Amino acid sequence: MIELKEVTKIYTGQSVPAVDSLTMKIEKGEICVFVGPSGCGKSTTLRMINRMIEPSSGTILIDNKNIKDSDPDKLRMGIGYVIQQIGLLPHRTVAENIAIVPRLHGWPKDKINRRVDELLVLIGLDPETTRSKFPSQLSGGQMQRIGVARAMAADPPVMLMDEPFGAVDPIARNHLQDEFLRLQREIKKTIVFVTHDINEAIKMGDKIAIFNRGRLVQYGTPQDILSRPANDFVADFIGYDRVVKMLSLFRVEDIARPVGCTIEPNELPNAWNKMQDYQAAVCFLINSAGEPSGFITGDDFLKQGKDASPDVLNKIAGQRKRAFVEGDVLLRDALSLILEFNTEYLGVLSGNRVVGVISLGDIRKHASKKEGD
Amino acid sequence: MIMEYTENHFSLVLAAVIISLLLWVPVGVLITRNEKLASMVLNIANTIFCIPSLSLFAVMVTIPALGLGRRSALVALVLYSMMPLGRNVYQGVKVVDKSVIEAARGMGMNSWRILWEIQLPLATPVIFAGFRIAVVMTTGIAAIATYIGERNLGRLIAEGLTRFNIEMIVSGALLIALIAIALDTVLGIIEKQIVPKGLKVRRS
Amino acid sequence: MDWMRVKQALLERAPEALGVHIVMVLVTISIAIAISVPLGVLLTRPKYKNLGVVVLNILNLLQTIPGLAIIALTMPFLGLGLKPTIFALTVQGLLPIARNTIAGLYGVSPDVKEAALGMGMSHKKILYEVELPLAMPIILAGVRTATVYVVSVGTLAAYIGGGGLGDLIVTGLAMFWPEFLIVGAGLGAILAISLDRLLAYVEYRITPPGLGT
Ligand SMILES: Nc1ncnc2c1ncn2[C@@H]1O[C@H](COP(=O)(O)OP(=O)(O)OP(=O)(O)O)[C@@H](O)[C@H]1O
Ligand SMILES: [Mg+2]
Repeated sequence: MIELKEVTKIYTGQSVPAVDSLTMKIEKGEICVFVGPSGCGKSTTLRMINRMIEPSSGTILIDNKNIKDSDPDKLRMGIGYVIQQIGLLPHRTVAENIAIVPRLHGWPKDKINRRVDELLVLIGLDPETTRSKFPSQLSGGQMQRIGVARAMAADPPVMLMDEPFGAVDPIARNHLQDEFLRLQREIKKTIVFVTHDINEAIKMGDKIAIFNRGRLVQYGTPQDILSRPANDFVADFIGYDRVVKMLSLFRVEDIARPVGCTIEPNELPNAWNKMQDYQAAVCFLINSAGEPSGFITGDDFLKQGKDASPDVLNKIAGQRKRAFVEGDVLLRDALSLILEFNTEYLGVLSGNRVVGVISLGDIRKHASKKEGD
Repeated sequence: MIMEYTENHFSLVLAAVIISLLLWVPVGVLITRNEKLASMVLNIANTIFCIPSLSLFAVMVTIPALGLGRRSALVALVLYSMMPLGRNVYQGVKVVDKSVIEAARGMGMNSWRILWEIQLPLATPVIFAGFRIAVVMTTGIAAIATYIGERNLGRLIAEGLTRFNIEMIVSGALLIALIAIALDTVLGIIEKQIVPKGLKVRRS
Repeated sequence: MDWMRVKQALLERAPEALGVHIVMVLVTISIAIAISVPLGVLLTRPKYKNLGVVVLNILNLLQTIPGLAIIALTMPFLGLGLKPTIFALTVQGLLPIARNTIAGLYGVSPDVKEAALGMGMSHKKILYEVELPLAMPIILAGVRTATVYVVSVGTLAAYIGGGGLGDLIVTGLAMFWPEFLIVGAGLGAILAISLDRLLAYVEYRITPPGLGT
């Protein structure tokens, strides 16, 4: 756990503090994302945690120990540190770069070698081909991964990451974020993560700390911040698509309901009655292989009449052949599909079987729900 | 006497610098068009640059067409300038951003136009830095030409050394040093005026 | 050409002159390195940051003072002989090495230093394992420049009794013996060029493989 108490930093020769009496707690095993406009003091705060900068006043505790009481070099050896510019040593190979902190700890050679290979696999690079390359022979994304691996080398419980994915293109960044989140589920480190991209913050953070002009403006879970922005600054910073952003915090499986009613093509003339029997608002059409090939809704009967012909119903259902999503799709993307197919519903798939259904009404309800409701 | 020495010193330096410019700038530009030629020319320049100045003057003197005096001094000084001038012209023109040239070609400029309107202007900071080095160096080495008959500020030192006349030595050495520093300073100021706005070179 | 004189120059005078010249250069460059590299390191430490810029400017200025002037200026203070020669040459050699040491150390990317510090490397370790290796090619380039200078200015040492290959040239000039001129000048040129190539090779070898230029 990292605890900052009334921490203030005024750089020499400046009158306004870069960080102004900041008090906050970062829980063990969580990713805490610092986000805010350029120059708001994110990096300064981060760099005070590993004593790259000394605060002008206030105290910082890691696991209830004042960091002032430990030797700075020792302290830093126990904290992984990733910077935006990566800072790989250009005259050392990938393996030597990753081995820096283990070497400082005095690990035996074979243990270091094993650890290097293990980390290379972990970050998705082939040890055989990557190990003895020099940084100049790597792509930007690969360097960034090595930077992260290097910070994790001695398995530090705490990691500080200053815009660690800032130097790569959006697609590679997305990929790195996913991989990192998958990794974090296993390694459960306490991570402070700086970004000025609110979307990255929402995606990566267990908690988000929004900074402005050296002050902490709001601190809470992504849902908390999206649903209850503390003031206009936070609301503006999040943007007009606040609600849509919030939908990206949830997946289809979080709100899916069980399937009420299914029919096979030869039952189509009986569809209306069957839906009445099951009290279902939507009915999935299932082919002989058991796969869904569309659906019809109560609305369709309102428009076409209760005695709509099987051919018409079949055609309507067929237009929604692709209005299905997997359970792990984000609600934001599901909403987009609903708008695209102009329906009220989407089927939820597991493999080739339909296992549930979500509706526009459910999404709307979810979006307006406040945390704790 | 000092006036005469100073005058001679200046006129030798001036002549050497002008000839060097006329010779090495075109050579530097020319070799940007042929890698092999470039590496050969630059190697020769580097080798000449390594030769101790007294040696080079001495060798010049033994060439019958040159003999003792100004002609030998001039040739040696011009040869020395080949390195700083030729190399900097070459490098300056060569390092111009490829995309700038690509864009210019795309606009329909031919390669001489590109050289004249883009590469040379963009290379001025580097070329001027080389020019500055050449001028300062020439000023210093010119003094040594006194040993092959030039009557310039070097003579003050040379005679001071043989006669153990400390005032002569000090005034000679200080004058040469002062002239070199003054020239460097003046050229530094001119450099600021000449270099295209938007380009600022960092001298290493 | 008078072959007797060539023989005399080559066999009787040249071995000693060349020997003295080489010793002169080696001693001078060693002293110059021993002074200017630590000086350069000191001046690039954050504590003396401002001083470093000032010193760099002064060194740039001193660089413009011609070698003959420096040699000549030493004589009134230190007299004649090898000692004042070595002093004057050391002053000449100091400048390019110190300058390049400072420039090389300044040139090390601050990001790399920040990352190294952030991983818990001590300042001393960073100096030895990061900064000096990365600056080494530039420092060596300075040593190379200094060596060529010193060989060159070293031929002027003959005028203050320092000996070396300059002796041959001076004799040749005084007696109008082209044979002496050519032998002295030729050996001087060969010495300078060989040292330059040797150092270029060392520079190429010690450039860390990751720093492709
Ligand atoms: N070494 C320094 N000396 C003086 N002022 C500094 C220094 N480092 C940062 N500052 C100032 O402190 C303020 C906060 O800087 P900081 O680097 O923490 O911002 P940041 O939130 O990380 O911004 P960015 O998103 O641009 O990285 C800025 O106004 C900056 O100009
Ligand atoms: Mg920052």
